[in-house]
Amino acid sequence: MSQRRAVITGVGAVSAFGIGFAALEKGLLAGRSAIGPIRNFDASTFPTRVAGEVPVVQTNAAFITDQLDVFLRSGEADRWERSGLLRDRKVCFGLLAATEAFLHAGCTAEERRAALSLGLGLEQAFLDDLAGEYVDGRMRIGAGAEAGGEGIRFRSRVDLCAQKIRSVLRLSGRIVVHVSACAAGGMAVAHAAAMIERGQADVVLCGGSDSMVNPLGVGGMSRLSAPSPRAEASACRPFDRRRDGLVMGEGAAVFVVEEESRALARGASPLARILGWASTQDAYRATAPRPDGSRARAAMERAVRRAKLQPSDIGYINAHGTGTPLNDVAEAKAIRGLFGDVPVSSIKGAIGHLMAAAGAIELAACLLPLTHDVLPGTAHFEEPDPECPVDVIGQTPRIARVDHVLSNSFGFGGQNVSLVLGRVE
Amino acid sequence: MQLKSDIFVVAVSSLTHVGMLGVELGRRVVRGEVPALCPLDVPHPSRPEDVRQRKLMSRASWMSALVMRDALAMARWSEQREEIGAYFGVGASGAEMDDVARLIGSSLDEQKKFSLARCGKEGLDASNPLFAFQIMNNFTLCHGSILEGLAGTNGAYFSRGLGTVTALEEACLALVEGECERVLVGGADTASHPVTLAELEREGYLRDGLVPVDGAAALALSREADVPLGRIESIWVCPVERPRDGLIPRAGVLRDAAVMASVDALAEHPCDLLVLAPWGAPAREILSELPEALAIKQSIDLTNLLGESLAATPAVAWVAALGMLVETGAKRALVLTAGPDGDLGAVVLTRGGKR
Repeated sequence: MSQRRAVITGVGAVSAFGIGFAALEKGLLAGRSAIGPIRNFDASTFPTRVAGEVPVVQTNAAFITDQLDVFLRSGEADRWERSGLLRDRKVCFGLLAATEAFLHAGCTAEERRAALSLGLGLEQAFLDDLAGEYVDGRMRIGAGAEAGGEGIRFRSRVDLCAQKIRSVLRLSGRIVVHVSACAAGGMAVAHAAAMIERGQADVVLCGGSDSMVNPLGVGGMSRLSAPSPRAEASACRPFDRRRDGLVMGEGAAVFVVEEESRALARGASPLARILGWASTQDAYRATAPRPDGSRARAAMERAVRRAKLQPSDIGYINAHGTGTPLNDVAEAKAIRGLFGDVPVSSIKGAIGHLMAAAGAIELAACLLPLTHDVLPGTAHFEEPDPECPVDVIGQTPRIARVDHVLSNSFGFGGQNVSLVLGRVE
Repeated sequence: MQLKSDIFVVAVSSLTHVGMLGVELGRRVVRGEVPALCPLDVPHPSRPEDVRQRKLMSRASWMSALVMRDALAMARWSEQREEIGAYFGVGASGAEMDDVARLIGSSLDEQKKFSLARCGKEGLDASNPLFAFQIMNNFTLCHGSILEGLAGTNGAYFSRGLGTVTALEEACLALVEGECERVLVGGADTASHPVTLAELEREGYLRDGLVPVDGAAALALSREADVPLGRIESIWVCPVERPRDGLIPRAGVLRDAAVMASVDALAEHPCDLLVLAPWGAPAREILSELPEALAIKQSIDLTNLLGESLAATPAVAWVAALGMLVETGAKRALVLTAGPDGDLGAVVLTRGGKR
């Protein structure tokens, strides 16, 4: 068996609490919620009007230059703005989180050989540009003259964020873009750890970035009735008896993951070990999770086994915990059946559901137990639900020392992933 | 990466303009029986559960489900499907343009300008409530998994080539590491989708000879097989350096990377068949030098015959290569894919099950 071990040596995050991992850490340690009215577009007629929105109204050249100046070439951000790519908020958030992680880990030119494994959300469609091609009841889009004029961008390509990170940080390793919906961020980190253990890479930047806080994203999710119908800051109440849906969030989290002995040799300070991971599928329905949570449980069980641990070794679980009626019951059943009375929380009530970045930002939250001895709370959880028979940590974070934590991410479509982190002695 | 354990190809399926074919695809390529490129005619759903689910599916998802089902049937994997793994390279989202038109048309104000206020009400009301299930990229994997009951280890990778090679690598490693005993791997994409066409046009690929087509392919892999079609010997995922903000590597860089990837993948083993899948003219020109450089007598430019189906191209090429091995009696094939993502994939396949 491999002696190579994957450790996290750097982290960057962008969330509704603000730009930077410190903002996320501060918000979660204080037990705050950052859900509020959508500001980056006028959502007043939309069924959903609140979100865990990053406090930046417009992602443009000035914003990106302000944040990333030393990494950019002269005029580069302006060119990006003119080409329309900065309109895709997840491109900007991913860049910010990746550069923060790179600096936090003390990466140098040697680490530019890193691979990149990112979970990214679906293409952002630009409705204004699409509307310009609506003629006589049909869309006039295609090759040749129907490809759109200068500055027109019908949608942003899925891998755009990854390509920009590669060029800005001048990475030369492979790029993997996981598109597993809400499981993508977790899948990307699991893949990174696997690449390290197998010797396919010594350093991997990994995580996720997403924003669906845009008209089509919010509108599409609303049509599925996934978001809470309440336009209130407390709209998302994971595991609460009164829960009625999710709240959309946006942001990114990126980690530098590297082989432990190499990290120590270059003087890096590991924050946590990535000990285990596993994926399964529900293969049940496109529209709902498997009610008994059996395949989610299988993912958790296998991740713990891969970590060479027993379920009783897990001291805290960061649940997928969307706040939807169906997810929380299935997940709680699976957790209870495997782990018994372990403390559980979901940070989605505080920052919203970051979709493809959810697994990554929640793994960033899992660093708190291992570095601060604090288990994050569950914002807006007040009334326990007998259908969710787990020990839910309420709004106030819980002080406890635990050595192993597990994070769940379950995607639309039924892809499940669980990861186990361990304390660095 | 050279695989140290035996990974057998038990069954294959592909959906291209040639039809829905297994190893027969490669046979037809060898016999020169590939018809001129034409739009892909995808079979309509007939089973009630398919008809129901098709309403939630993009064209790529349906194509993917078809090749998954076909490969499973040919592999005779009808039992214990819950533990079968599934790894796919998937493409851009493929919303039905009629749905997009309904949303946009209902969001226009009296001056025929897009109105956010109308979009939030009339636009959404007019749109398909299940629109989101069509556009999520991972559903190209998940719909097939749901229909066929595949609930094992898995991955969905965005691909314009290399993501599908990554899917193959991960599928093989899942078998090697014992995460599953059987796995489906493949790719599906609709390069002819209007928004993808516009994207390829704007990025310059169509000008440079990329011929966009729809396609899908799946391979059933296992650690054990009585009569395998072939064996996967090595998989090389090769990122290629490119100019900052550039999509396409410089010619010399791609040439050196292609030679190095081929040499690494073959690991000094003899090779008697070279299958090339360049996305368009710049990559074609460079890859066309390889048969001579590698001293491989038989070679074929597959995308020249079948077109470029982005996430599906590598999987289609592996399926074709296995059929070509069967038809020609060649023992080892090197499949080199150079997609419009600028990176390279090199996969070595051998005929039958023997090392």
